[in-house]
Amino acid sequence: MNAVTLNGLSKTYSNGKKAVDSVNICLSAGEVFGFLGPNGAGKTTTVKLLNGMLTPTEGSCTVFDINPAANPQKAHALSGVVTEHAQMYDAMTGMENLVFYGSLYGINPSESEERGKALLRELELTYAENQKLASYSTGMRQRLSLARALIHQPRILFLDEPTSGLDPESAQNVHRMIHRLASEHGITVFLCTHQLRYAQEICTRYGLMEEGRLLAEGTLDTLRLQICSGMTLKVKASRIPETLLCKNTAPGAFELQIQSEEEIPAIVRKIVEQGGDVYHISAELPSLEDIYFHLTGKEQTT
Amino acid sequence: MNHQITAIIKKDIRSITSNKRMFITLLIVPLVLTIFVPSVFILVFHFMPENNTELLELLELLPLSIQDGSTQRSIIKLILNYIMPIFFLLIPIMAASVMAAASFVGEKEKRTLETLLYCPLSLKQIFRSKVMASFFLSMFVSAVSFAAMLVVTEAEAYMTTNSFVLPDLKWLLIMLLVSPAISLIAITLIVRVSARAQSVEDAEQSAVFLILPILLLIVGQFTGVFLISSWILLAIGVLCGLLAALLLKKCMDNFKYETLLK
Ligand SMILES: Nc1ncnc2c1ncn2[C@@H]1O[C@H](COP(=O)(O)OP(=O)(O)OP(=O)(O)O)[C@@H](O)[C@H]1O
Ligand SMILES: [Mg+2]
Repeated sequence: MNAVTLNGLSKTYSNGKKAVDSVNICLSAGEVFGFLGPNGAGKTTTVKLLNGMLTPTEGSCTVFDINPAANPQKAHALSGVVTEHAQMYDAMTGMENLVFYGSLYGINPSESEERGKALLRELELTYAENQKLASYSTGMRQRLSLARALIHQPRILFLDEPTSGLDPESAQNVHRMIHRLASEHGITVFLCTHQLRYAQEICTRYGLMEEGRLLAEGTLDTLRLQICSGMTLKVKASRIPETLLCKNTAPGAFELQIQSEEEIPAIVRKIVEQGGDVYHISAELPSLEDIYFHLTGKEQTT
Repeated sequence: MNHQITAIIKKDIRSITSNKRMFITLLIVPLVLTIFVPSVFILVFHFMPENNTELLELLELLPLSIQDGSTQRSIIKLILNYIMPIFFLLIPIMAASVMAAASFVGEKEKRTLETLLYCPLSLKQIFRSKVMASFFLSMFVSAVSFAAMLVVTEAEAYMTTNSFVLPDLKWLLIMLLVSPAISLIAITLIVRVSARAQSVEDAEQSAVFLILPILLLIVGQFTGVFLISSWILLAIGVLCGLLAALLLKKCMDNFKYETLLK
């Protein structure tokens, strides 16, 4: 059974905006899927479709073989959702909120409290357990939302930018937690994010959206193959022979494209034979960021 | 009633009782209406010279059922059983509107509705529990107001006439039929407005449309053009009940994820 399938999924809003355009994706259980794309690509719309908040105009989607549009209650019982718009009650404390949402999932208060305590500990929020939400910062709210989404031990987590507004330390913490949930508890994660570096660390698969269309999908390796074969060799040397096709990125720093590590010794030999001194040499596979910019056709400004 | 529905009802009611501004609005208006208004009438007539001929002439125009022994008793009877029942209807309208606005529009405004929609409850269950929360609160405020009014007017009746003036059948109709029906109408009105209203205040203002017919009825009582009888009240109650059922059904059908998350 697939955790998530999108079958030619399309959504056109009532104003005529086609936010999702025939997208096909298939995810197995336990995967961490990084759903990437610029603003307005249709990521949030897809998450809403997968939760039955919107009905597809064409195609269909399923979550553990449940059609969320036809059977939202069943789909919700299996899913935990964190989005920037899904807030909790300011007049209640963190723990009261968790117990309230727990009760909506049919969990009794003492059980909710126990699970809530463990989650808050993990998210480093224990100190704010009995504070009213009104006094929470954005980052604290965001982490409490994650605790809320996990209170019923869902099989799949939909996270729409769960780390926006978090400081680097908390963001790292949340990413570690997501990683652990997937690797230790087998929870499937559908993660919409703009933080490509973290995505590269924790995701097992990626989907890249732009203007409603799925540009590419697959593991990091398959995506690398799609944009170019090979890697970038970075060299720092006093001089480099003109016969080598390379880009001079800074004084004394050069970059050249190679197919495999096998070519490196010959290149180094050439430089040395021509009387150049080599200070540094490294071969880099394209990062997720490189792939992202390559596929969306926008030049990286670094 | 299952646990999830009770959890939402409890949460909604608690959220209003823990909000001071809201709770005070909810209490002050009923208390003014049910304690202050009848007291002023009863005491003003009490301290007026007995042989005010104009007043006596006016009282003579009233149906025989009101004319009862002394002038003072007739007046208390007129206030308790003809004027107050209509005034009283403002209470469920207000309580239900304030609560429904907080419960429906407030959740949307504070972005908590979306979270609620992600829970494994059907929209019907969410709708029902929210309507029930507003309805229960409205009935509770009405019952408390009625009790307060009864205690105060009976005490005043005893002080001024040395006897009690009992509420009649109309109150039974008001409490069991008209108030509940009119509360439900107010709630559905707020829910309808909530699709468009961006703030709680916006939604609350729309309840004015319900208050207007009541004000007309009140004016009718005072000018004596149209005195309310149990039969009229029964008819109004049944009509309102039917209207409430119809509106609830319509509202429920419009309660969809896509329209809610706009
Ligand atoms: N309710 C709506 N009605 C009409 N158009 C909408 C609606 N919601 C979103 N859109 C449009 O659909 C497109 C996709 O929006 P969506 O929110 O899915 O993007 P996103 O990938 O989540 O972007 P971001 O990274 O900024 O969160 C956008 O062009 C947006 O303007
Ligand atoms: Mg988004």
